[in-house]
Parts: sequence; structure tokens; C-alpha cells
Amino acid sequence: MGVEYRNYNLGDDITPLVKSMSQEAINNFEGSAGVKHPTQFTDTEFAQERLGTAGTIASGRMSVTFCLELMRRNFGDDSFNRTGMVDLRNLRPVRPGNTITFTGKIIDISREANGNKITVEINATNDEGNLTGVGKGSVIVPSGYFAPEE
Amino acid sequence: MVAEEGKVLLDWEALEIGETFPVYEYKIQKENIEQFREGVMDEGASFPTISHKVDVRQYDKKYTDSGSVNARCSFFCYNPPIPGKKLFVTAWIADKYLKRGKNYIVTEAVTVDEDGRLIDRVITHEMKQPGEVGKKWG
Repeated sequence: MGVEYRNYNLGDDITPLVKSMSQEAINNFEGSAGVKHPTQFTDTEFAQERLGTAGTIASGRMSVTFCLELMRRNFGDDSFNRTGMVDLRNLRPVRPGNTITFTGKIIDISREANGNKITVEINATNDEGNLTGVGKGSVIVPSGYFAPEE
Repeated sequence: MVAEEGKVLLDWEALEIGETFPVYEYKIQKENIEQFREGVMDEGASFPTISHKVDVRQYDKKYTDSGSVNARCSFFCYNPPIPGKKLFVTAWIADKYLKRGKNYIVTEAVTVDEDGRLIDRVITHEMKQPGEVGKKWG
């Protein structure tokens, strides 16, 4: 079977990812690690006392996980799960009820020892149009997945 | 604030960059992965290790502090964990800094499984004045 060549270019926008946050989703994220005690993520009173917020917020790690998904869906499990990374700065709280859109633009393509490293600038924006996070992701795509240079 | 029993009250000034914590060992089971995937609404999510917050587990076991919020997090993927395999996490204090009057601690952790497969690496910047979130964003 032949290789299906992939085509990535500087300045390309990648396909966005949209996530609707709910308390149930947050509870599952926290619960998947066996956390049963109240936290700022799962308990309103705890969040009010600890953070001074009106209610719970989502862990910043959930947004990182969504960025991992954004990158994986755009560049493939095979490459991303072995060479991918995301670095996200959390700018605003993400709360249950928010819808967050993750977008990305390719800002660099460079040769590495094991392929072409593609770097993406990532923005996370809430339904009010405010940035909740900014960062970068990268993945190394084997050179064999690119069409041979002329 | 007083230290919880068996813990040390955090003295940010005295915290040493490079402090390395005892190896944390755990397993991820199929049920954990399923619940994680429900939480992140992604059937293909392959790194449920991120929800375990392993870079701060041993820190939290040793220190009492006023809590934290995640200001920045980097996650590096090497191999998705295999359900039922033991995972070994080495975590350390990678950095600390003061920014706009707030204290930050940077933890870093590397996970390998019982077969020596490198799983992931995570670096987290935690801001140690969590009450600032409510003051700024309500």
C-alpha cells in the first residue's frame, strides 16, 4: 500500500475543536484519577472558599487535554501520540456552561533528525470571545509522509 | 495556616529547585480511561495520565500550602499508557519564580511503565495564591 502524502504549509489554519464544558465532564475528568474529596473543580463551596469564585472552574489540565486532541486530530494519532507536545498558558478560568473553541495556525516547519517538526500557535476562546488560553503545540511528522521534493 | 499532620508547611523562599520526590507508583485501569474519555468527550484520548496530576502528587503529600491554580502546563507525549501496567513517576521542583507579586512553583514529572516505556512528561506552573482568581475574575 502506498503512502498517502500529507501536506502542511506555513500559515495554514488547522481544523478547530469546540468543547462544551459541563460540571459532569469536569467531575469525570477529576474522578478518572480517583479523586473523591471536594476540590475547587468539583465543589462549589470549596471553590468559593479557595478561589473566591462564584462556583467551580475546570482544571487547566482539561484545556491542555483539549489542545492535545486538537493536535492529534489534525496531525494523526501515529505521529502525535509519540512526538507531540502542547504548552498552554491559562489566562482565564473555564467554567461549567462555557463553550471553548480551540484554534491553531502553523507557524513553523523545521527539519529534525526524525522528520519535520510542525509548530502550531494555539488559542482557546470562550463564547464571549475572550481568550482563556494561549500556547503552542508541536509534532514531528516523518519525512516519508511528505511528497518527495522536486 | 498550620501544616497538616505529617506534612511540612510550605516555605516558598526555602523551597529548593531540584528537590526530587520519592517515586510515585500507580496503575491506570480500563475504567479510568473510559471515565477520562467521557470527561474530555474524546473517544481517542490516549493520555489519561494527565488527570492524575502526577507532577504535584508527591509535592502535595509532603507540603501543606494554601492551594494553587494552574497557570501554565506543558505535556509531552511519548507512548500511550497500557491499562494495568505499573507506572512509575519521578517528579521534582523544576523552578520557582515571583511574578507580579505572586509566587509560582514549577513542577516537572516523567512517567515510565514497568517495561521501561517512556510514557509522558509534564511541566506545570502553579500560582500559589489561588484567591487571586476570584479577585480578578469573580
